[in-house]
Amino acid sequence: MADQSKLPIVYTIRGCAACVKLLTKWDAEGIVYDERRVELSQATLDQARRYGKLVPIVVWPDGRVEQGFGDSFGCFI
Amino acid sequence: MSTVTTVVTAARFEQGLTWGDFLAGAAVNRDKFEQNYVNPVLTGEDLSFFRKASALPEGPRKLLAIAEAWCGDVYRELPTAVRIAESAGLDLRIFLRDENPDIMDKFLSNNGKSRAIPVFVFYTADTKYITHFIERSATAHAGLALAMEQAKAKLNLPATATFGNLQDPEKQRYLEEVISTIEPHADQWRRDAVGEIRQLLAAALHLPAAL
Repeated sequence: MADQSKLPIVYTIRGCAACVKLLTKWDAEGIVYDERRVELSQATLDQARRYGKLVPIVVWPDGRVEQGFGDSFGCFI
Repeated sequence: MSTVTTVVTAARFEQGLTWGDFLAGAAVNRDKFEQNYVNPVLTGEDLSFFRKASALPEGPRKLLAIAEAWCGDVYRELPTAVRIAESAGLDLRIFLRDENPDIMDKFLSNNGKSRAIPVFVFYTADTKYITHFIERSATAHAGLALAMEQAKAKLNLPATATFGNLQDPEKQRYLEEVISTIEPHADQWRRDAVGEIRQLLAAALHLPAAL
């Protein structure tokens, strides 16, 4: 099993088009990630809000944070 | 009447969630929904308009909302729709976007490409479509476009820059600048949405917006 701490964490929402596009790209590229669905729990949503206001939010292992994906801001949370 | 509502029959409408059901089932943002509910942006004049409109023979008696609890625009706007329904005696039913794609797909935005929410659809007592409102006010859309232009100027980005063609970290700085510019306008844009809903109803019912 992969070391979770070495994986990018990605906060997503089911049905968010930008989230789907990002994960589709990563899946095609074989990138392994730790997906955390913010609509499923307040605790996860609160975690995501520490990093940004639009999903997808990616927290890279080196601490870099990216919001949105492609040509879309993503979804406000 | 419009064909955009053919999937919403009287029986289907009844299957939607009540406000209480929606809140009880919301896994997230209950505090924000409740906060916006207890701090409504509706004026007495607004409430009077909706009450008078609903009293008309072909006026609104049912209000359908498409929503998801995680969405920022929904927790800002849905409590307003609840207040409108309560004050005007409308039967409100809420449909979750991702569980009701057939209804959602009748109200797409962005030239049929986006499933933007919330959507508020007004119906007569016998479920005839009257009008609908999608996502946020026109002033909010214009304000977002202006914030994007201002962010480009502030960060010395080329006029051709878009979120899609910028690279990180510049892309992230641009996004943060846009967000910080639009956030202070949230309450005004909630009020603008009410005005826009009034205009939509007035146009559909051939009424003055200041009824």
